[in-house]
Amino acid sequence: MSRISGLFLNVYLVFKKDWTEISRNWQVLIPVIVVPVFFSMVLPIIIYLFPVSISSLGPLQNLFNTLPDYAKQRLLNFNPAQLAFYMVSVFFFAPFFLVIPLIASSVIASDSFAGEKERKTIESLLATPISDSEMFLGKMLVSFSAAMFSTLSSFLVYTSVVDVLALGIFGRPILPDLSWIILILLLAPAVSLASVGLTVTISAKVKGFREAQQINAILIIPILIGIFSESWIAVILGAKALILLTLFFVLIDCVMFYAGVKLFKREDIMAKIS
Amino acid sequence: MDAIIVEKLSKDFGKIRAVDSLSFNVPNGKVFAILGPNGAGKTTTLRILACIISPSSGDAYVAGASITKQPRKIRMITGIVTENPALYERLTAEENLEFFARAYGVNDPLERKRRIRMMMEDFDLWERRNDRVGTFSKGMKQKLSFIRAMIHQPQVILLDEPTSSLDPLSSHLVRDYMIKMKRDGKTVILSTHRLEDVEKVADMVMLMSKGRALAFGSPAQLIEESNSKKAEIEVKNFEKKFENVIESIATVKEVVSQAESYLIKIEVDDFNTDIPQIVRKLAIEGADILSVRGDSRNLEEVYLRLIGDSE
Repeated sequence: MSRISGLFLNVYLVFKKDWTEISRNWQVLIPVIVVPVFFSMVLPIIIYLFPVSISSLGPLQNLFNTLPDYAKQRLLNFNPAQLAFYMVSVFFFAPFFLVIPLIASSVIASDSFAGEKERKTIESLLATPISDSEMFLGKMLVSFSAAMFSTLSSFLVYTSVVDVLALGIFGRPILPDLSWIILILLLAPAVSLASVGLTVTISAKVKGFREAQQINAILIIPILIGIFSESWIAVILGAKALILLTLFFVLIDCVMFYAGVKLFKREDIMAKIS
Repeated sequence: MDAIIVEKLSKDFGKIRAVDSLSFNVPNGKVFAILGPNGAGKTTTLRILACIISPSSGDAYVAGASITKQPRKIRMITGIVTENPALYERLTAEENLEFFARAYGVNDPLERKRRIRMMMEDFDLWERRNDRVGTFSKGMKQKLSFIRAMIHQPQVILLDEPTSSLDPLSSHLVRDYMIKMKRDGKTVILSTHRLEDVEKVADMVMLMSKGRALAFGSPAQLIEESNSKKAEIEVKNFEKKFENVIESIATVKEVVSQAESYLIKIEVDDFNTDIPQIVRKLAIEGADILSVRGDSRNLEEVYLRLIGDSE
């Protein structure tokens, strides 16, 4: 067996083991299920109830004024109801879909190593010949998969609900457009990987789950704010800006994975809980 | 050839030295027991040998591989039963064993299934294979943890209190497995408080306290070395001259008058040489000797004495 296939075999092994465990743990599953349900169902209902019922833009006028000319061109022929619906559902709510993977994966990623330490299963895992990078990658992959499951399912439901409502307002579906496809298929995974890498690294370094969650919250909140503002602008600016933002996060992913594997020392894990 | 060579191994946790310049060798195909009170450094020593933690200084070789330079190779050829069962409670017993067998490189699915079934049947767990480990008793978890450590048929197996939660029958089964491993040329390192296990299966014993080795040897050697200094000679009649006879060879510590006899408590340099001489001379002097007893100790008494001396 080649070294590469051996590597993926062990990564898959850790992934499968953790995934099976998670699928039987409701405490961990709740954020993965609740977050997409909230974002995909509640957000479109808010849109439907709020802007469609008014004849002018009202409070959204200020938001419209801040849009760059390029974006305004796209909205020239829309009536106020269409404008409000489009601005909120296509521009304003887009950044939420970068927040979903972060929230959905935070519990699983925090639990990755810290949970094993608390449940005292880490010793037998560390005694296996699975390498540090295989273990780290396997743990990352579990959280990443959960994050992407949440994001994609939210996106599918959200798009369906928005398009059903859009049929009545525009007479045609409006999502997904190119920006949203890039957002969901490229940017969201890149952002998610960076977040998961950081959280799994923290989880390996701390003594328990609660500590991992606390540090994670302190680090993730500023990141969330940054992502929110940057991605909103990027969605308005269009595909090129989103691709640039994705490349930036891919770079962060590489740094995060490299640093995570370098910082992950199995000998330190047991020494800390001995 | 030695399966394990330990050279001046030390491990510090902050300011605490858990293992202090430990050196020992274990030949192939032997059961080597480590005895010692809580905090003696037994578990830390096993964790270092299993490459779960690294030493602060020194080195050790397991089947020729260095723990500091070739940890992955060592992990492939060792199995460890940890102090806690360390099993995934939301997975079934079979899922746990599947995971660990594959992690240790048992890649052939048929062979994996065969080993899992055989060992689970041996330990009377096969019927519970589809139950989650969280529903198992402590003893069942310990048996499963033992199977997990053996599933890849390691050359060296490290056992940390493997029988502590087991009933007598299961303990017997674990001991049998240790003997079987020894017969197959495998090496077992056993850390335990159960002296019964040591007396029944260990070829060599190391007594540890405060991270250091206090004594080495086979259980019989340790007992032998600890014995043979004191003896009691029971005579029906007692005269002062008997004391003089004994003093020419050994030291009389005390003479105790009993109901119908006298007990002469003595201390000798060499039990096997001195006692026959004393008995012979006492008989010539007219002593009616009723019995001669050496101060024989069992392993527990040896353990308590050596550990007590070190405290």
